[in-house]
Amino acid sequence: MPKHYRPPGKKKEGNAAKYITRTKAVHYLQISLSSFRKLCILKGIFPREPKKKVEGNHKTYYHMKDIAFLAHDPLIEKFREIRAHRKKIKKAFGKKNRDQANRLLTQQPKYKLDRLVLERYPTFVDALRDLDDCLTMVHLFAALPVVESERIQVERIHNCRRLSHQWQAFISRTHKLRKTFISVKGIYYQAEVEGQKITWLTPHALQQVLTDDVDFNVMLTFLEFYETLLGFVNFKLYHSINLKYPPILDPRLEALAAELYALSRYVAASSASLPKNVEANNSSEADQRDVGENDARIDESELRLAQLQHQLPTNEPGALMHMVEDATSKDDDDDETKECKYLFKDMKFFLSREVPRESLLFIIPAFGGVVSWDGDGSPFNESDEDITYQIVDRPVQGHLFLSREYVQPQWVFDCVNARMILPTEAYSVGRVPPPHLSPFVDNEAEGYVPEYAETIKRLQAAANKQVLPLPGLGIHDVDNAQNLLIEGIVDRAEANEAAEKKKKLSILEKQYHDELNMELKGIKYSTSMLNKGSSEDNVVEEDITPNIEQIAEDDQSRSKISMSRKKRKIYEAMQISKQRKRANVDLLKERKKKAQEQKS
Amino acid sequence: MAKSRTTSENSNRTERELPDEQPDENGFLTESGNQDENLDRNDALDGSHDEQGLSGKEDDEGGHGAAEESDSSEDEVAPRNTVGDVPLEWYKDEEHIGYDISGRKIKKQTRKDRIDSFLAGVDDSKSWRKIYDKYNDEEVELTKEEIGIIRRILKGKTPHAEVDPYADYVDWFVWEDKGHPLSNAPEPKRRFIPSKWEHKKVLQYVRAIRKGWIKFDKPEEEPPFRLLWDDDSNLAENKRHGLSYIPAPKPKLPGHEESYNPSVEYIPSQEEINSYQLMYEEDRPKFIPRRFESLRSVPAYENALKEGFDRCLDLYLCPRTRKKRLNIDPETLKPKLPNRKDLKPYPTTCYFEYRGHTGPVKSISIEISGQWIASGSTDGTVRIWEIDTGRCLKVWDVGEAVQHVTWNPLPELPILAISLGRDVLLLNTGLGNEEEQLKVKELLHVEEPIITDDACDNVIVGSKEGKMCWFDMDLSSQPYKTFKVHPKDITNVAFHRSYPLFASCSDDCTAYVFHGMVYSDLNQNPLIVPLEILRGHTTSNGRGVLDCKFHPRQPWLFTAGSDSVIKLYCH
Repeated sequence: MPKHYRPPGKKKEGNAAKYITRTKAVHYLQISLSSFRKLCILKGIFPREPKKKVEGNHKTYYHMKDIAFLAHDPLIEKFREIRAHRKKIKKAFGKKNRDQANRLLTQQPKYKLDRLVLERYPTFVDALRDLDDCLTMVHLFAALPVVESERIQVERIHNCRRLSHQWQAFISRTHKLRKTFISVKGIYYQAEVEGQKITWLTPHALQQVLTDDVDFNVMLTFLEFYETLLGFVNFKLYHSINLKYPPILDPRLEALAAELYALSRYVAASSASLPKNVEANNSSEADQRDVGENDARIDESELRLAQLQHQLPTNEPGALMHMVEDATSKDDDDDETKECKYLFKDMKFFLSREVPRESLLFIIPAFGGVVSWDGDGSPFNESDEDITYQIVDRPVQGHLFLSREYVQPQWVFDCVNARMILPTEAYSVGRVPPPHLSPFVDNEAEGYVPEYAETIKRLQAAANKQVLPLPGLGIHDVDNAQNLLIEGIVDRAEANEAAEKKKKLSILEKQYHDELNMELKGIKYSTSMLNKGSSEDNVVEEDITPNIEQIAEDDQSRSKISMSRKKRKIYEAMQISKQRKRANVDLLKERKKKAQEQKS
Repeated sequence: MAKSRTTSENSNRTERELPDEQPDENGFLTESGNQDENLDRNDALDGSHDEQGLSGKEDDEGGHGAAEESDSSEDEVAPRNTVGDVPLEWYKDEEHIGYDISGRKIKKQTRKDRIDSFLAGVDDSKSWRKIYDKYNDEEVELTKEEIGIIRRILKGKTPHAEVDPYADYVDWFVWEDKGHPLSNAPEPKRRFIPSKWEHKKVLQYVRAIRKGWIKFDKPEEEPPFRLLWDDDSNLAENKRHGLSYIPAPKPKLPGHEESYNPSVEYIPSQEEINSYQLMYEEDRPKFIPRRFESLRSVPAYENALKEGFDRCLDLYLCPRTRKKRLNIDPETLKPKLPNRKDLKPYPTTCYFEYRGHTGPVKSISIEISGQWIASGSTDGTVRIWEIDTGRCLKVWDVGEAVQHVTWNPLPELPILAISLGRDVLLLNTGLGNEEEQLKVKELLHVEEPIITDDACDNVIVGSKEGKMCWFDMDLSSQPYKTFKVHPKDITNVAFHRSYPLFASCSDDCTAYVFHGMVYSDLNQNPLIVPLEILRGHTTSNGRGVLDCKFHPRQPWLFTAGSDSVIKLYCH
């Protein structure tokens, strides 16, 4: 009888009953593989790893409950309906029945995903927790070109842009942004919404490279769900600050493709209950693309703009306004938000043409600054006397205003990460800025602190009026892994004691042997005493040096012996990973040393 | 246009005699003309350019009358010569070339000689459009229009540019009130009753409208988004379908090296980058840091789309399991052992060395009183030493490598048994009184050293692969504990008679001392603590420490090494 023989009539049990391979699942659901994929993506069903793979190791397994869950979804029926409808249209076209075909085309069955969003994310916090991928994807598609052959349509792209701008407007408005980082891949942002850290990546605002090893069907299905999810999340967020969600925007700014500037104006205007419109009034977001002028339209919309500004409760903020704002907003913000809110307070920024405008227009208002740019629709222009910082990314700046400082864009990002206004000399025009460090790395845990991170730390401490230990001393002590190890494991006293004892014994032994020798040779006691002192010293020095390392090693091996095998394996694995980390750090140190040598 | 076509006539006229008679017909032959004909007809024209120009104009304006009068001008237009279509050779020798309409001879004109004609051609810029008409014996100058016509014909087009070859067909026939229909059949009945199929179609539509299949007004669009999550959504927890939801791991956050402007130490040198090529594909770093001097020089990331896609694949294709990740300090893995200090005394340091053997010391044995130690070596000698002083008391040369030496456990009979080769010798050490000799029995060599604990329910076994097993005889046949102690073979294990100590020695030149406490309470597990690693022997021939023995009363350990030294470790 085979090992897994199951008599007829007896049900399957265990993993064989609980898990089902993908092919079987597709047969079970009676749908095509592509719609199965789509269904899985939309419903968030993923394969699971059974303890025992009954059908073979190389197959993907789905849990039977997951599949049953799919089978009961109305979406399956909807997919079938759509397929049938598509056939009808095709048939009508084939019979040259154009009326029928057109009528059918207008009546295509549609499905909505809001039920799925609620099902997958029962609470709002759940949705926020999973928002990382969603935001990254939406931002990526907002930067893609339209490719008709891949079914990337204009409406999709525009919708993505809109959603991403709405999200950014909210984050900027509520000062939830925490960390930013310019990487080669794009710009990373981290915001904290309802205690959830949400990190997303926006590609650099350049023409994106389209590769052909990408299946856009899959990506578009994901995007379909993400668009819905982000829409609902935005709705909830706007609702929480008393705004109507699909915002109605100023057509002039929309025409200028300055959608987000329009959005923030809208935000500012309609949140009349919260007298915070000051910075929101200035906070603006605009696209980098320039749109050809449309005179008639601008005239008409200037009128609208004037009306809009008229609607604002307070158009030009006074000192009183600021005070009111401070007083009201203090109670509902936590400390970090407050810190973020006032980082760029009372500063006015101006962006030159070559600067990545979109991200800076997002970041600077998020940290309480006022910003304008070189182009249409900007709140103030370059010659404004109140501008404190002009952000420039060109080799030479022609005309300089003395009243303001000229910095490279990296300065803003570094300031935000350090939560302080850094000195600007290093970032001035034409210089190579100091290294840009990731705010997501815990330098201490990593074991290597880059030089500039230390500088920033020192500046922060100076700002907080703390005193840090001198560089070199403290860090060296901590860094020396060998010392640390020995300190941790061996009691110093104990080691000393052992060494002492050994020393004493060796002396005695030596003495004894000497005496024996002397006895044998017949040398007199008194004469031997003369030579003794020097030889003794030699012995002592020889013995002590290897001791400490030896003791540490012994201790290591002793503790290893008494561990169980499982724990020992874990311990060894940990040691290996530790070693790897240390090797990395060593590599970095070595490279740094080399670079310094080259410099000098 | 049609007029000029129909009239078209060729123009013999323009004779000086009858200039005004047919002003209209100058013309441009058209329709039926092939080139020859054309030229023939034009023969009649006379050479005067001015007149022709004038007459051409007149013709255009006033040609109507002529058109009305005659459809075809062919017959009307008579050439000056009336001889008809006869070969002109017939007049070759005559003075005249024919007769005009009134019957008078037409004289041949004197032929110009070549030079004259050439000179005339040079002087006259229009000579290229002059043609000699043999029939009428005159030179004809073609007008501009005629040249145009010739050109068009040569190209295969209609001679006149104004002609529309595809003119709309005008149906001249008037059909109205023409009397009889083509068929005289009576109107069929179906012309008078409503169509069944139309009726069916209408019914279909009616039904479709009633049932709402056909809608005329577009359905009202709901707002796409609404407040999905209310404040009290705790009941939603149950909506999951009974399986635990495993959230996908978040993508790794970028480190310093991904910065567009990382510090110098994060950028690999060219050699390092080249060395990546030698690595396996999966070991190769996915991302090679680069440094850009300024933000404006950063290009678009070429893998942005690919990485987004890979993430999508991970999300829906990767099997997910919960893996417990140990995030603990490795020090916590070490068992809590009692402090070594509390377990004293135990041997820690080398106190004495007994030198004298010249070969590896195979075996040692301590006399039960603890005063003497016997050692057997492969150099074929057995020695007895005084423990306290290290004095070598006696030496026996047995002539063969000694495998094992053992004292008689009875203190009153200080007899030493040694095994060598196939023999066992009993030596009278002469330490106590004179003793009687005993019979010898064959003994076998012990493969693996086995030492039984005092209480006789714990066994320690050291094995060749460097493992030491602690068997609890009461518990199971499996070892209670296995220690991977030595990297090389264990040569011997020993336990102390009175102290809770045991030791192992190995070929790696070390001896381990353990604390092994067995409690009388059966519920309490024996406590085993590694205490000390004793070093000092040197390796020779790949062997290290060959034997270890505890002192019967003191917590001292004797080790015999292959370097022919016996060492005493004291507390």
